[in-house]
Amino acid sequence: MLYTNEQLADMVKPDKVHRAVYVDPGIFDLEMERIYGRVWVYVGHESQIPQTGDYVTSRIGRQDVILVRAADGKPHVLYNRCPHKGAQIVPPGDGHVDRHFRCPYHAWTFRLHGPMLSAPLRAGYEGTAFDPADEAFWLRRVARVASYRGFVFASLSEGGDDLVDFLGGAKAAIDNLCDRSPVGEVEVAGGVFRVWQNSNWKIFYENLHDTMHAAVTHESSVVAARDEYEASMAGQDMPFVLHIMAGNGEPYQFWEKLAVHAFDHGHGYMEGIFDPGGTDRDPTSRAHHESLAAAVGEARAREILGMNLHNTIIYGSGSPHTVFQQFRVIRPVAVDRTMVEIITFRLKGAPEAVFERAVTYANTINSPSSNVMPDDVELYTRVQKGNRLDGGDWVSMHRYCGTDRDIPGGKVAVNGTSELPIRNQFAAWKALMTEGGTGCGEAA
Amino acid sequence: MNGIGAVEMDEAIRLKHRVEQFLFLEARLLDANAWDEWLRLFTPTGMYWVPRMRGQQDARTQVSLFHEDALLRSVRARRLANHRNWSQQPPTHGARTIGNVSVTDPGPGTIVVRSSFQMLEWRADNPRAFGGSYTHTLREDPAAAGSFRIEMKRVDLVNCDAIHENLQVFL
Repeated sequence: MLYTNEQLADMVKPDKVHRAVYVDPGIFDLEMERIYGRVWVYVGHESQIPQTGDYVTSRIGRQDVILVRAADGKPHVLYNRCPHKGAQIVPPGDGHVDRHFRCPYHAWTFRLHGPMLSAPLRAGYEGTAFDPADEAFWLRRVARVASYRGFVFASLSEGGDDLVDFLGGAKAAIDNLCDRSPVGEVEVAGGVFRVWQNSNWKIFYENLHDTMHAAVTHESSVVAARDEYEASMAGQDMPFVLHIMAGNGEPYQFWEKLAVHAFDHGHGYMEGIFDPGGTDRDPTSRAHHESLAAAVGEARAREILGMNLHNTIIYGSGSPHTVFQQFRVIRPVAVDRTMVEIITFRLKGAPEAVFERAVTYANTINSPSSNVMPDDVELYTRVQKGNRLDGGDWVSMHRYCGTDRDIPGGKVAVNGTSELPIRNQFAAWKALMTEGGTGCGEAA
Repeated sequence: MNGIGAVEMDEAIRLKHRVEQFLFLEARLLDANAWDEWLRLFTPTGMYWVPRMRGQQDARTQVSLFHEDALLRSVRARRLANHRNWSQQPPTHGARTIGNVSVTDPGPGTIVVRSSFQMLEWRADNPRAFGGSYTHTLREDPAAAGSFRIEMKRVDLVNCDAIHENLQVFL
C-alpha cells in the first residue's frame, strides 16, 4: 500500500514502532528510495582497487555499481549499466580492465570514470542525436563519492551532508580501526563471507547493540563453550575461541555497566565485551602493542588500543568491529531478505598474528558455520514471521525510554541494557522517510 | 593398473574396500546425527576443514567455512545437542551419498583418499543440496584392526563461494 508522510510518522513512537516497518514490501520500496537513495553507503575499500583499472562490484540499495580506480588515481563509482542497451558492463566480483571499459554486447567503450570513448562503425550515427560528448551516452556516475581513510562511501543523491558530517561520532571507530595499524592503514584481506538472513535489514541493526538478548539467544553456544572448557582444560586460561563464545553468557550486571553511545543519523557504538587478553598475558596483544608503540609512542599506543569497542553501527552500511578488524556490511535485498558480507582487514605493519586472530574471530563468530550466529539468524526469522501476524501491531523499545542523555552529536545510555540504539535508529529512519530530513533528532 | 601384478591388485582392491567401508560408516554416523560417535573417528590432532575458496591452501590467513580442531568440533557437537539450540528446532537432517572413491596416495601408515559426495539436507521445510569432494587423510586405527582414524577431512564444496544460509552440521 501507499503511505502518506503522516502515516509513516505515526509508525514510529518514542517507545514503540509499528510492525509494518518490518513486513510491508511497500515500506521497503520507500526505504530503498528515501534511505538507501540518499544516505552515504559503504561500497568498498581502496585496498581492493590498488591499480588504475582495478574494479570491484558493489551495491547501494537496489543499484548494482562498480567501484573503480580511474586514471586520476581516485576511486569512482559507476552504475553497472551500458547506456546503449542496458547490459551490465562487468560481471559480479572484482577484476581489472586496461584503460577502458568495453561492453561485451556491442563493444561500446568508456573511460574508467565513465565518459564514452567510441562505438564501432560510427558512420551509422551520422545525422542522429548520438554524441559521445553527451552524458546520456556515458556510464552514469553515482551522484557522490567520498573516501575516508580508504573506506569508500557513495550516495545516490546530490544533496545532503558531506561524508565526515554524516559519519559524525561513528567516524571515531573508523579512525580507531585504522590507528591500530602502526602505519595508520588497513587493507581488505583473507576473503569474504557472504550470508543470507531471511529477515528485514533493520532487525539485524537493532540486534547489534541489544545486550539483553545475548545470554538468552546464545545460551547453547555459551553452555557448550563453558562445558568444553571444564571438560578439557579447567584451571588453564580459557582459549580465545572459547572465550569469544562464552562471553555472551555474562550476567546481566555485566551488560548493564557497558557504555552505549548513539549518534545522529542512526549510528552508534558500544563498549567492548571481550578482553582479547591483557598485554601482560596474551602474546598477540603484547606484540601488537609493541609494534604500535614503536611507531606512535607508548602513551598513544595505550590510548589507541585502550579504545575497546564491540560492534559499531554505521546506519545504512553495516557494522565495523575495530578490535577484530572486521566490517559486516548489511545489504537489504527484499523486505524479508538481507545479505551480509563479512569482511576482514589486515592492519598494515602489525604482527601477522593479529590478522590471524581476526580470521579466527571471523571463522568462529561470524561465518555461516559459526556456533553463535545461527541462533541470532533463527530469532530474526521468527521476528519476521511473527510480525506478519495479527497478534498485535506494536514492537516495543521501551527499555530505559526517556532517560537518554544528550551528548554533542548524539546521546548516551544511562544503562548498558537501554534500547537507546534502537530508538536512535528509528529517529533517523523517521526523519529520512518523512521529511527529507537528515536523520538527526529525536523520534517524537 | 598397467603392469601391476595379481598380488598388488588384490591388495589395492582390499584397501579400497576397507576405505569405502570406513567412508560409508562415517556417512551413516553423520546421517544419523550421531555427532559424538563421529568425533571419535578422528585422531587427537585431526582437523575438519571446509575451505571458503577453491583450491585454498591456507587456513590461517584466509577465512574458512569450517576449520575445526578437536576442541571446536566438540563444542559444535555440544551445541547441536543443547536443548536450547533455537536454530536446531527443528533439527537438521541429511543424507549423504559417496562415490568415485579413489585412493590417491597409499603411503605407509597414512593414506589419502578422494571421493565425491552429494548431500541432501532438510530443516524446517527447507531442502538444500550440497556437493563436492571429500579428501580424507586416514591413518590405520591402532585400536581397531582394519579400520582408520581421520587425520584430515577436507570438504571442497562446489558452492564454497556462495552466499550461504546457516551451516550448522558437519558435512
